Amino acid sequence: MTRLGVALLFLFIAAGCNRPVQPGDPIPGLARAERDRFARGKVVFDSEFTPHTGLGPLFNSTACGECHEDPKAGGRGDEVEIHATAFSGGVCDPLVQEGGPVIQQHATPALKQALGIDSEPFPPSASARAMRTSPVVFGRGLLDLVPDSLILSYADPDDRNHDGVRGRPNRSLDGRIGRFGRKAFVPTLREFNAGAFPAEMGVTDPEQPTEENIGGKPIPPGVDSTADPEINQEALELADDFVRFLAPPTPAKLGKEGRRGRELFSQIGCATCHIPTLRTGDSPVPALRRREFAAYTDLLLHDLGPELADICLGRAAPADFRTEPLLDLRDATKFLHDGRATTLEQAVDLHGGEGAAARNGFKVLTPADRAALIAFLKSL
Amino acid sequence: MHRTTRTAAVAAVLLIPLTFSSPAHPRGARRIDTAQAAPSYTYVGTVHAVNARAGSLDLITGVGMALRLVHMTTQPTTLFAGAGASLRLRALQPGDIVRTECRSTPTGMVASRIEKVEAQKP
Ligand code: HEC
Ligand code: HEC
Repeated sequence: MTRLGVALLFLFIAAGCNRPVQPGDPIPGLARAERDRFARGKVVFDSEFTPHTGLGPLFNSTACGECHEDPKAGGRGDEVEIHATAFSGGVCDPLVQEGGPVIQQHATPALKQALGIDSEPFPPSASARAMRTSPVVFGRGLLDLVPDSLILSYADPDDRNHDGVRGRPNRSLDGRIGRFGRKAFVPTLREFNAGAFPAEMGVTDPEQPTEENIGGKPIPPGVDSTADPEINQEALELADDFVRFLAPPTPAKLGKEGRRGRELFSQIGCATCHIPTLRTGDSPVPALRRREFAAYTDLLLHDLGPELADICLGRAAPADFRTEPLLDLRDATKFLHDGRATTLEQAVDLHGGEGAAARNGFKVLTPADRAALIAFLKSL
Repeated sequence: MHRTTRTAAVAAVLLIPLTFSSPAHPRGARRIDTAQAAPSYTYVGTVHAVNARAGSLDLITGVGMALRLVHMTTQPTTLFAGAGASLRLRALQPGDIVRTECRSTPTGMVASRIEKVEAQKP
């Protein structure tokens, strides 16, 4: 090889190492076999189901990639789904007996014909209706590996440090610490993914081989003739690996304004909940193991006030939400759990409850400082 | 919902279950192989409802957001345990976390052991 050739090769390698991670890219440093599973998992993630391949009888959409798609597979989506539960006497009933907590918005032709319904009936006992926009799932493999002990180290349910912030973990049905979904109800990424096939597409899998009832009533005979589970273990594992290996995009380089914004983000208390960096624990995948990453979440629940409140879930009361990881905000056009905010300023303005002090801190900033904070958020 | 690429054909090949014969077992269950004829399952979940008179219990279990109810009955031989003390069905309340061992019988799930798991503090 000529000297020029060698120089070019080095340049090429160096450029490759420093290339910023784009939305939809896999975690850098995956082994070849892992990258291969990422590619094959993407095919499952983007696969369109039909009633013949297991879709329904109730479903929200036909593919994971129909809802998690912008700007790339694993990104946001324009689908808004409906969840319902009942909150009474401090106990949360997920209304499984009435088809909750996910109320599917579509029915297969066979179900429509049998029952004359286009969607799952809304549970009569629900105390609230929650709207949920389809979020990015980038970087969730890293969030999955944050040790419970680290999450608990940020918890302060009794507000011992008197900062008005009382982060606490949600718990799953069997008592483990939750971290996924807007209410942090689901403890592991694997369980969220395995539950998404049946909950979103009506596609049963080896980890949830039972179809859900129709608003609490059994599925009419002949309506769902595909044998359960409707996907096999390999397909489930590939889809899970695809999501697990999706990298958080590299934040854009900050200019002077952005750096000022990052400082303010900490100064006015945003970083109390939106913890800028977290670190993963052990993992069989070296590229995910003991890695620091930009998370901007504590994975804890916070009461954000009555204006945002909707349903309970697990131990999350209606006003409690998990601190949303701030990720790929540059591509977002709607914010908060139901997409009610269409600008970052509005999203901040709508922080009440435990977030009110930080919001007030934002409100009293000079216009230039507010712009700097927003510029910083847009770099994420 | 504006994707144009359709991958249904690939899906059909990839996703048809290879094991149609594998019986779907009840939700949230970990099957335990025993010498008994009736298969055993362990469920850990949250109590939904207790009917002490009928001796039955509804448990919420599930995977992710795909939740299911499991109905089970108790028998005079059902063992109860909880935080070191003995427990009775009527002492269980909605929201309690329990670990149950059950047998699947022609008339439904029958609990052989119910243990209350102490809820962890936040
Ligand atoms: C109908 C649209 C839709 C489909 C289809 C769908 N999702 Fe989602 N997804 C959502 C919504 C809405 C949420 C937020 C749920 C919540 O906040 O409780 C979500 C949340 C998630 C999360 C948790 C993200 C977090 O921040 O905690 C993961 C992981 C995920 N989806 C993976 C999948 C996978 C894998 C599939 C396919 C098996 C899938 N989704 C199919 C709409 C969808
Ligand atoms: C008390 C904890 C807490 C504090 C302090 C806090 N946030 Fe949040 N933040 C949250 C929670 C919880 C959510 C999710 C709310 C929802 O989905 O409705 C959220 C959501 C957001 C979102 C929307 C993200 C999305 O993708 O939808 C933005 C942007 C945001 N916060 C920015 C900020 C900024 C800037 C500050 C400081 C002024 C701040 N937050 C302070 C807890 C907090």
